[in-house]
Amino acid sequence: MSLTRTLPMDPYLVANADSVLADARQGDAAALEKLFRAFESPVYTLARRICRTAEDAEDVLQETFFEVCRSIPRYRGEGSLWGWVRSIAASKALMRLRRNKYRDTDELDDGVFASRREDTALRMDLEAALERLSETSRAVVWLHDVEGYTHEEIAGMMGKTVSFSKSQLARAHVRLRHWLGEGVSA
Amino acid sequence: MSHLTMETLLALREPGVEPGDVAAREHLAHCAACRTELERLDQRAARLRALPPLRPSRNLWPAVHARQQIESRRRFRARWTGVAGFLAAASVALALVWGDVARPDAASAAAEIAAARERSQVLESALNQYNPDVRMIDGRTARVSRELEDRIADLDQQLQDAQLRRARQAEDEQQQQVLELWRERVGLLNALVDVHVTRASNVGL
Repeated sequence: MSLTRTLPMDPYLVANADSVLADARQGDAAALEKLFRAFESPVYTLARRICRTAEDAEDVLQETFFEVCRSIPRYRGEGSLWGWVRSIAASKALMRLRRNKYRDTDELDDGVFASRREDTALRMDLEAALERLSETSRAVVWLHDVEGYTHEEIAGMMGKTVSFSKSQLARAHVRLRHWLGEGVSA
Repeated sequence: MSHLTMETLLALREPGVEPGDVAAREHLAHCAACRTELERLDQRAARLRALPPLRPSRNLWPAVHARQQIESRRRFRARWTGVAGFLAAASVALALVWGDVARPDAASAAAEIAAARERSQVLESALNQYNPDVRMIDGRTARVSRELEDRIADLDQQLQDAQLRRARQAEDEQQQQVLELWRERVGLLNALVDVHVTRASNVGL
């Protein structure tokens, strides 16, 4: 079982990676657009899962590719291209969280979720439960469980301690388990 | 009997062995409830990874590309302004030096260089007034414009080099070369103005 999400790569980019990269480094707009098209969805998905709103995620997508266009001449091919793009995207998304910190409540507690909680027949689906987590917890869950970052890497990106990352993940899973109606079996 | 905490269960999924892992695994071997919890944890993480990819509701590439173009123009302009200032000063210096030895041909070349320099300034001013940074342009125009800007940047570099080579070259030859470079610069700036300003007036921008 894979412990990180696999990224289906654009076949054209896979077959022509070297020439697309060479052209992109020269600032060729068509090559840069090919990179954008190849990574648009995974970057947006990462951003959307971390940020609260679709607008924030779209901003993160734009900021990420603006940075990719600017920095691609300095990309030397160490590690995978997706790994490089993803680290930029994660950093931009976390920057956006810090900027919106005043909105980062423990978790959403509005009427919609309250009414659903009382109705055991209407158990939250995974996406709704994920959405309900605080922004910080959701970011840690996504970066660790889906993107495969280690606690050390997450702590570094968030400017927090490894213990913080671990406790956020544990707390988030306790809540997800509860909201998903999985209960405690013992 | 107390069960494993979520933190402990999560730690068991991490690579490597942490203090306490051995005891936790021993507990796990004998506790069906904790094994179920660990299995649920794995399933939850797998379900998260299996969530469908998302796409933005609109095409954001044009906005990224436009912003990138503005940025590269700004960088180009910043470099260009500095170089243009240097070249203007260098031309004045050249004219003064050559003025001292004023032969008829040299005097006429120096006057031509001064005129080309003035023409360059007029064209640059026209471009700045047009302010292409805030206008949307089509891909072809952007390509042509970028090529012209690159060639002007290249010329500016050659003009700088020519100024630095001054001491090692015969004055006539040097002056003629500088004049040619200035003429070419004026020609390219004319083309750049045509690309932006003429097109803009054609489409009523």
